[in-house]
Amino acid sequence: MAAWLPRRVGAALLTVLAVVTLVFFAIHLAPGTPFLPSGDRPLDPAVEAGLRARFGLDRPLGIQYARYLAALARGDLGESFAQQRPVGAALAQALPNTLVLAGSALAVDLVLGTLLGVLMAARAGRRPDRWLGAATLVVYALPTFWLGLVLLLAFGQWLHWLPVGGVTDPVIHDALGFGGRFVDRVRHLVLPALSLGLVGAAGTARFQRAAMLEALGQGFVRTARAGGLSERQVLGHALRNALLPSITLLGLALPFLLTGSVVVESVFSWPGMGKLAADAIQARDYPVVLAATLVAAVLVVCGSLLADLLYAAADPRIRRESA
Amino acid sequence: MTAASWLALVVVAACALAAARLLGAARAEALRRFLEPRGVRAGVAALLFFVLLALAAPLVSAYGPAAQLDITGLQSAPPSWRHLMGTDLLSRDVWARITFGARVSLGIGVLATVVSVGLGALVGGAAGYFRGPTDAVLMRLVDVGLAVPRIFLVLAVLALGHPLGAASLALLIGCTGWFATSRLVRSEVLSLRERVFVEGARALGLRPWRILARHVLPGTGAVVIVAAALGVANAMLLEAGLSFLGVGVQPPVPSWGNMIADARDQLATAPWASLFPGLAITAVVVALHAVADGVRSALDPHAPLAS
Amino acid sequence: MPTLARRLRTARAAAVLAVASLLGSCEPKGTCRGEYCGTLVFAAIGQPVSLLPPATDQALDRDIFDQIFLRLADIGPDLNTVGDSGFVPRLADRWGWTDSLTLAFHIDGRARWQDGVPVTARDVAFSFAAFTDSALDSPYRDELKRIASVTAADSSTAVFRFRARYPEMFYDATYYLRVVPEHVLRLEPFARWRTAPFGRSPIGDGPYRLVNWTPGQSLELVADSAFFLGRPHIERLIWRFDADLSVAVTQVVAGEADAIEVLGSPANVARARATPHLTVYPYAGSVYTMVGFNLREPGGVPHPILADPIVRQALVLATDRERMARSVFGGMAKVPPGPIPEEWASLWSGVAPVPPYDTVEAARLLASRYWLPGPGGVRQRAGRRLALTLLVPSTSPPRRQYAQLIQEELRAVGVEIRIELVDPPTLDQRLRAGRYDAAIESWGNDPAPSSGLPGAWKTGGEANFGRYSNRWFDRAVDSAVNARSPGAAADAWRTALDTLAEDAPAIVLCAPDNVAAIDARVAGVRLRPDEYWADVWTWRIPPDRLIERDRLGH
Repeated sequence: MAAWLPRRVGAALLTVLAVVTLVFFAIHLAPGTPFLPSGDRPLDPAVEAGLRARFGLDRPLGIQYARYLAALARGDLGESFAQQRPVGAALAQALPNTLVLAGSALAVDLVLGTLLGVLMAARAGRRPDRWLGAATLVVYALPTFWLGLVLLLAFGQWLHWLPVGGVTDPVIHDALGFGGRFVDRVRHLVLPALSLGLVGAAGTARFQRAAMLEALGQGFVRTARAGGLSERQVLGHALRNALLPSITLLGLALPFLLTGSVVVESVFSWPGMGKLAADAIQARDYPVVLAATLVAAVLVVCGSLLADLLYAAADPRIRRESA
Repeated sequence: MTAASWLALVVVAACALAAARLLGAARAEALRRFLEPRGVRAGVAALLFFVLLALAAPLVSAYGPAAQLDITGLQSAPPSWRHLMGTDLLSRDVWARITFGARVSLGIGVLATVVSVGLGALVGGAAGYFRGPTDAVLMRLVDVGLAVPRIFLVLAVLALGHPLGAASLALLIGCTGWFATSRLVRSEVLSLRERVFVEGARALGLRPWRILARHVLPGTGAVVIVAAALGVANAMLLEAGLSFLGVGVQPPVPSWGNMIADARDQLATAPWASLFPGLAITAVVVALHAVADGVRSALDPHAPLAS
Repeated sequence: MPTLARRLRTARAAAVLAVASLLGSCEPKGTCRGEYCGTLVFAAIGQPVSLLPPATDQALDRDIFDQIFLRLADIGPDLNTVGDSGFVPRLADRWGWTDSLTLAFHIDGRARWQDGVPVTARDVAFSFAAFTDSALDSPYRDELKRIASVTAADSSTAVFRFRARYPEMFYDATYYLRVVPEHVLRLEPFARWRTAPFGRSPIGDGPYRLVNWTPGQSLELVADSAFFLGRPHIERLIWRFDADLSVAVTQVVAGEADAIEVLGSPANVARARATPHLTVYPYAGSVYTMVGFNLREPGGVPHPILADPIVRQALVLATDRERMARSVFGGMAKVPPGPIPEEWASLWSGVAPVPPYDTVEAARLLASRYWLPGPGGVRQRAGRRLALTLLVPSTSPPRRQYAQLIQEELRAVGVEIRIELVDPPTLDQRLRAGRYDAAIESWGNDPAPSSGLPGAWKTGGEANFGRYSNRWFDRAVDSAVNARSPGAAADAWRTALDTLAEDAPAIVLCAPDNVAAIDARVAGVRLRPDEYWADVWTWRIPPDRLIERDRLGH
C-alpha cells in the first residue's frame, strides 16, 4: 500500500489540474457580455472596458491562465461579476450548505438503503422482498427534481408540516435557543435530503440485497449456522461482509449527489453550490462557474480517494496482497 | 381520444405484448433464458410498448402535440374521455404530447446512448487491448471525465452559446457519458485478450484493430448491453433535468422533461400535466433497469446487482 | 434476549427525548406588544446586487433601497408628473421657483443619516454629480440631462438650474435623484461605485436601515425609531429570496411569507384568493409586453422581411391579442392602443383604436407584398421563406406561454416562427447587437411617458433596439417633451402613438395588471404602481392582530 498511495494521490492531483484547464478554456471561449447593463441602456464602452480591465479579461488567454493558476495557489478564486464580491466568499457560504445536504442525503441513502437491503435479503423470495423490490425499482427511477416538487407540494403546501424552502427561517431563527435553532435547521433539511437521498437509498437497497445474498451463500455462514448461532447473529456476520462492497458505492455516490444537488437546490431554494452554479451559468458569471466545477471535481476526486483508502483499510485481503 | 385512436392504442399494446411473447419463444437459448424472469418480460414489453407508441404517435392521438384547442376555454382541463390525460396550460392535449414526446425523449436517450456506448467501447477497447501508454493516457482522460459531475459538464457547454436542437443536445449528452462505459469495457477486454482465441488470431497475423473489432469487442456484449440500458435511462433523466432548468429541449417540441418544467407552476392546480410525463419517465427507466438486471443475471448469475 | 430488550428501551427513551425537544424549543418567545411591532416578510424572486441607487436598475434592488434612501419629494398617489401639483415633501420640506428656470429646495432640518450626521444640500449636489457621471453611467443619466446644474446655496438649500422650460421639470428634479451621503461616499471614485462595498452595507436616511444580509437567502431591515417623518409601525422587514415564482407563491400561501408584489398568473391569483389569511390587491400595472421587431440587421441593412411596414401590419392583424391576453392573464390584462402601460392612464383614450384580429386581411396584405403560399404551409417570396426567430427569456412563464400561442397563430397565416428560449443576459446582448428577428420584450416604466417612449422609439434612442426611425414620430415626441402645457403634451403624445400604430414596429401584446397578495392582518395597505412597496413605512399591524413572529423585536 505504501507504494500505491503516492501514485494514487499524484494521479488525483493531475486529474484536478486537467479539470481546471479544460473548464477554464471552455468558459473563456463563451460569447456574451458578463456585465448585465443597467435597465434599458447599453453600458458605456469606456465603462465596460474599465470593468474588463479590472477583471483581467483584456489580456491574451495564455496570460490569463497563468494568472489564474497563480491565484488559485494563493487561494484566490477571482471575483464574481454578478455578486460583486470574491468568489471565495460566495463559495465559502455555499459549500457548507451543499456538504450538509449531500451528507444528510448520503446518510439517508446508506442507512435506509442498508436497512431495506438487509430486510429484503432476510425475507428473500417472500412477499416483503417482492413488494420492497418493486418499490425500490420504481423509486430508483424517479427524477429527483420531480420527487422534490411532489414532496414540496405535499408536505410544504398541502400539509404545512415542513417549511417551503430555505436553510433556516429568516424571521425567527435568531430568536431561538440552541435546541430551537437545531430543530429549525433539521426541519428545513428534511425535504431536500429526502429528495436526494431516497433515490440513492433505493439503489443502495438493491445493491445491498444482492451483496447480502452473496455473503449468506458463502461457507462461513453455513459454519456459523451449524455452530448454533442465531439467525440474527448470522445476519450480522453476513452484513459485515456485505458492507465491504458498499464502500465502493461511497465513491460513486458523490458525483450523483452533486449532480442531483443542482436541480434539488433549485427546487428548494437551498443556497448551496449547485444553485450557485445554475444561477452563475444563467448570468455568465465565469469565475463562479469555474470555481464551482473545480470544487465539485476536487470533492469527487477526494471522495473516491477516501473510498479507496477505506476499502483498503477495511478489507484484510487487499492489505495482505499489497504488503 | 376518438374511437380510431383508442383502437390504435389497443393494437399497439397488443403488438408489444405479442412481440415480447415471441421473443420469449425464440430459438436462441440465451434470449430465452434472459426473458425467463417475469420482471424482465414485463420490462421488455413496456419498452416495446413505448417504442411502438412513439412510432405510432399520429395514429394513437386524436390531436397534434402543438395544437392549441381552445386557449380560453380548454386550458388545464382535467382528464376525461375526450382528453385521456387532460390538457395543459396552452390547451394542448397531454396524451398527444406524451406520445409525441416519447419520440423526442426516447430518441434523445437512444441517440445519446449510441454515442456514449460507441465512444466508451472504442476507448475502453483500445485502452484494454493495446495497454501501455495508450491505456495510461486514455484512462487519465477517463479519470478527468469521471471527476466532473456530468451536469456541470453539460451546463458549461450549454452556456457557450445558442440553445441546441434535440439532435445536438443528444450528441452533447452522449459525449459526456462514455467514461464509465469505457472503464467497464476496458476490464472486460483486459481479461478477454488473454483468451486462447485471441492468441490464435494474433498467431494468424491479423491486424490488432481487426482482432479488437471482430473478436474481442463482441465478447463484451453483455457489459455493453447493460451499459446501454442504463445509459438510456440516465440520458433521459439528464435531459429531463436540463429541460427543467430551461436549457434542454425547446418549445413547442414536447419532451417529457420540458412538459414537467412547463407544468411546474400548475403542480397544485393542474397536477396531471406534470404527473403523467413524470410517470412516463419513471416507467421507461424502470423497464430499462429491469432489462439491465435481466441481462446481468442471465449472463452471470453470480454478479451482484449493482447499478 | 436481555441485551436486545435494553437496546429497545434506550431507543424508546431517545425517541421520547427527541420528540420532547422538538415540541419544546420550537416557538421563540417575543415580547413586543403595541403599535410598533410587526415583522413583514416579502417573498422575492432573484437576488439583489447592490443597494447603492445610482449603481443599479434592478427592480428588486429598488424595492429595498426604497426603504433606505429618500428623494427630495415623492410623486403623489395620482402619479401626476406634470407641474408641481400632488408632490409630497420628503427630504425637502418646502420648495420654490426663484425664476422660470431655477428651483430651490429647502432640506428638512430634522433629516439625518443613520450615522447621525445631518442631511445637507451638499449631499444633494453630490448625488446629482454621481447620477450624471459618465464613468458611473447610472440608468437615469439621460433623464437628468435637462438639468444644467445642482448647487448648494447653503447647507439647507439645494438649487436646481434647468436649461429650458418644459412640463416635467419638477418630476425630473425629484423622481430620479435619490440622495446619497456625501460624507461617506466622497472618497470612493464614481467609476468604482458599481462594486463599492457601500452597496452591500448602505447608510441611508430613510425609514428603515439594513441590519442583516445573507446572500442567496434573506435580507433584514429594521425601522428607524427616530425617523423624522414618523416612526414606521412595522418594526422589521425581511426579504426572502426564491429561485422562482411558484416557490414564492407557495411560501406566501403557506404563511411563511406575508407579501408578494406580483402574483403573475391567474392560477396564482386563484390560489391566493382561496387562502383565507391573504388579501389580494390588484393595481395598475407599470409594464407592457410586446413582440419587438428588428427593422435592421447588423450593419444597417434593412431586414429582408420586417423592414416592410405592410408585412408588419399583417403580423399584427394575424394575432388575436385580446384572446391571448385572456388566455395568459385571465381578466388581468388589457390590450393597449400602443406600447404604453396601464400606469399612463391619460394616454389610453384618444389614440387610434387597437388593430383588430383579421386573418383574412392579414393574408391579403401578405399576398399583396408577394409573400405567396409555399411548401409546408410557409409563405415564400423569391425563394426566401417567411420564417422568423422569436427570442423569449426562459425566466418568464407568461412570455413563454405567449411565445407558443403566437407561434400557432402565425402558422395559420403561413408564417413560421422558431422560438429561442434564452436567458436574460443573452437576450439583452442579442437585442443590443441587433442579432434577432423578433423578441418578446417586457418593459417596466416610470410614471412619465417622457422617460419611456423617446428612449424606446426615437431615432437613436438608447432602448430602440429595433432601430425604428420615423421623423414624424421624432417631431411629435420633441413637441410633447417641450410642450408648454400638460394638454399640449398629451396631444403630442397621442400623435406620436398614432404614428406608431400605423408603422407597427411591434405587436403590442398586453399591459397586465399587477396583483399583489398581502397578509390580511396588515392594515393601511397602499400600493404604488411604479414602486410597489413605496408606502410600506405607513402600513401597520393592529396590536390585536399580532402573530408570534410580529412580537419579536430588536
